[in-house]
Amino acid sequence: MAILGSFAFEEDFLGAARKLKSSGFDKLSLLSPLPLEEAQEIMGLEKSPVRHFSLAGAIFGAIAGFAMAVATSLVFILPTGGRAIITVPPFLIITYEMTILFGVLFTLLGFHFVSGLPAWRDKPYLTSAGIDRFVVIVEGAAADQVARAEAIIRDAGADEIRHVEEDQ
Amino acid sequence: MFDHGQPSYAEVNKDILSTMLETGPKYWMLLGMTMSVAGICFFMPWIYQLFVGVGAAGMNHNAVWGSYLSNFIFWIGLSHSGTLLSAVLHITNSPWRKSIYRSAEAMTLFSLMTATLFVMVHLGRVWFVHWSFPIPNQMGLWPNFRSPLMFDVMAITTYLTASSIFIYMGSVPDFAAVRDASTGLRRRLYTIFSFGWRGTAREWHTLGWAYTFFAVFVIPLAVSVHSIVSWDFALSAVPGFHHTIFAPYFVCGAIYSGTAGIVTVMYCLRKFLGFERYIGQVHLDSLGKLLITLSLIWSYINILELFTTWFGGTSFELEALSFRLTGFYAPLYWEMLIFCAFVPLLMLFKKIRWSWNKMLLISILINIGMLTERFIIVATSQPRKFLPDSFGYYVPSWIEISISVGSFAIFVTLFLIFIKWVPAISIYEVKETLKPLRRNV
Amino acid sequence: MSTFVEKLRQYSKPGYYDEFDYHWTMTIDLDRCTGCEACVVACQAENNLPIVGEERFAQSREIKWIRIERYWEGEYPNIKMGFIPMLCQHCDDAPCETACPVYATYHNQDGLNTQIYNRCIGTRTCAVYCPYEVRYFNWFTYTWDEPLEQQLNPDVSVREKGVMEKCTFCIQRIRIAKDNAKDDDRRRVRDGEVVPACVQSCPTEAMLFGNSKDPEAKVSKMMKNTRGYTVLEELNTTPSIVYLKKVHA
Repeated sequence: MAILGSFAFEEDFLGAARKLKSSGFDKLSLLSPLPLEEAQEIMGLEKSPVRHFSLAGAIFGAIAGFAMAVATSLVFILPTGGRAIITVPPFLIITYEMTILFGVLFTLLGFHFVSGLPAWRDKPYLTSAGIDRFVVIVEGAAADQVARAEAIIRDAGADEIRHVEEDQ
Repeated sequence: MFDHGQPSYAEVNKDILSTMLETGPKYWMLLGMTMSVAGICFFMPWIYQLFVGVGAAGMNHNAVWGSYLSNFIFWIGLSHSGTLLSAVLHITNSPWRKSIYRSAEAMTLFSLMTATLFVMVHLGRVWFVHWSFPIPNQMGLWPNFRSPLMFDVMAITTYLTASSIFIYMGSVPDFAAVRDASTGLRRRLYTIFSFGWRGTAREWHTLGWAYTFFAVFVIPLAVSVHSIVSWDFALSAVPGFHHTIFAPYFVCGAIYSGTAGIVTVMYCLRKFLGFERYIGQVHLDSLGKLLITLSLIWSYINILELFTTWFGGTSFELEALSFRLTGFYAPLYWEMLIFCAFVPLLMLFKKIRWSWNKMLLISILINIGMLTERFIIVATSQPRKFLPDSFGYYVPSWIEISISVGSFAIFVTLFLIFIKWVPAISIYEVKETLKPLRRNV
Repeated sequence: MSTFVEKLRQYSKPGYYDEFDYHWTMTIDLDRCTGCEACVVACQAENNLPIVGEERFAQSREIKWIRIERYWEGEYPNIKMGFIPMLCQHCDDAPCETACPVYATYHNQDGLNTQIYNRCIGTRTCAVYCPYEVRYFNWFTYTWDEPLEQQLNPDVSVREKGVMEKCTFCIQRIRIAKDNAKDDDRRRVRDGEVVPACVQSCPTEAMLFGNSKDPEAKVSKMMKNTRGYTVLEELNTTPSIVYLKKVHA
């Protein structure tokens, strides 16, 4: 059983969220049409693990880039322009580009990993949350707690409350 | 921020999505027109050239690089507005970025694609272009990573990938908005595009972090891309190419022409999609100020280039310089100076900076000037290299001119397709610039 | 492991990676050059160079691996004309080689700057980077009218459109001479055994070709001539062709 409470005003929504959180409802989802820093604070989100992916990608890209340039020039020894076979300055440019390429790709991977997207399964959602409504979703509340959660949401000033069956 | 009063959240969704979901006959006419121009002016001459050989263009032994490459630099330059500007403004937290960045990034993407097409057109044997990618081939041979052209391949591939990801990730919440507002096939498509986005705090949080990291990666990338394009020229010993100033010169010129391009695109969006409410004086004014700064930097680098050449006093360099200033293409050189160095100074007056029509004119003139600049770099340096025996001229052929015209049609076609697939203004970021909804209003 | 490190170290040094037997070199005595263009014709016949026709010549799209450059000195009536045969200088530090993204041009162990037509994708960067402008691009696919195709040299490939080409120092003749030397159990080709078409056809013997790694070769001695110079020396391309200055009486 999931309870959806939709709010027209940001402050009511945040108030409800805070109250629910302090009352022990942990499986909260806070839907908003725009990023809200307060909502992220309530959910206890600080530094995102995405940054580790970015760093790992950049390091991997740098090593892979330089290694690729060196290894491919050793596969077939073709001297050009009186330069060395392993010519460091131009290879650094390749390294630079590959650092960025893999940095970006790993960040993308990190985004998907951390955010849990893509998630195409049906989840409790109100289309108005994409327009101008702030929605609190309480999931996994025990049967006896549902009324309490509903009361908190209603008291905070929700203009619509809905119950949705959760799929297993 | 908003010239015509602040819209409500729902109005933002409605205004922006309606430009996507409602399509009039005018749009189809315009799309059909640009597509046919692209086909007739770009692809047909190109196919002819593929059969005949690059000799269909006007290049000759004295100037083996021609307008294809100057167009390539122009389009790469135009691509520097969007993603770079968007990323810089995102990191510096400038609110006026939010309603213009989506289209600016689209501009990046499409001008990059056009630029890549020009590389293909330029090549003598484009059917072997895959040999320049670091993928195994039947010869067991890898590309030469010492070559400045290989830097280009790597840089442009990276740039294309990174800016596609950048624009896509920034649009995911808006794809969700499209999904919610549509039905049928479009709904199913956008469900996939939006990854099932719901707008939870966790999703916003992750997107915010990822987006900032994309921006951080994209800024040095964009700077490196045009530096590398300049090294295609600067790494040769050719007088007129061989300048250390070339990398900053190209980067500055790229951002300059790109920003002018944004002004042009903003004008069109405002005029034809009815975004008067979201693209206002503040954007025009900020872009105008940016353009003046860039024009001054650009002029400074030009003076510096002339000065160092003169001060260096090498006979080859002086010969190339005098050919540029007084030779066959001198009128184009002076035209470039007027359009890119003097006309933009008019924007110092607020009256001009605040007028959409005048700014449109100036922005178009700047880009004409920048197109000429690239042409002059390519066309006046090579025919005056070292040995006087090989001094000559290069004049573009009709095929080249037609392909250059056609490339604009390709760009417009891609842009027209874009505005029907992606919200041209970021819905959620416009909402961020609105005053938050409070009960006690 | 240690051999691997050694190898890495070896490959990190600029220049050549081993001592090889040959470094093909040419000297051109400008005092002897009469500008007769016999070398141009010989090269055209030997290397299957296409005849592009009047119109394309006017567009300066002719293909001449060797050309005679004419320079005038002084004012009329005290005017003097000089000739410089200009062909690929086979620079040891060639600017064209690093430019190619697909290794279509590289330096081989004989000191030759080679061009591999099959690899070329036609970016034309090498031609831009070459300060001597001796690289020629196939703007079109050229054909030979009957019966002219009968005179094509079977040892040299015919190039198609979109490919860069240039002087090879008649690499097909070098190859034959090296094969003969191998058959006769000689380590090196004898001096004078390889003669490129231009050198062979020069009526005044202005040109000399040989292996400069062999101190006894004629070309090695000629290189030490005090009149010797290389074209555009200030660009540090270290060309393999030494020109001998014309001395005005």
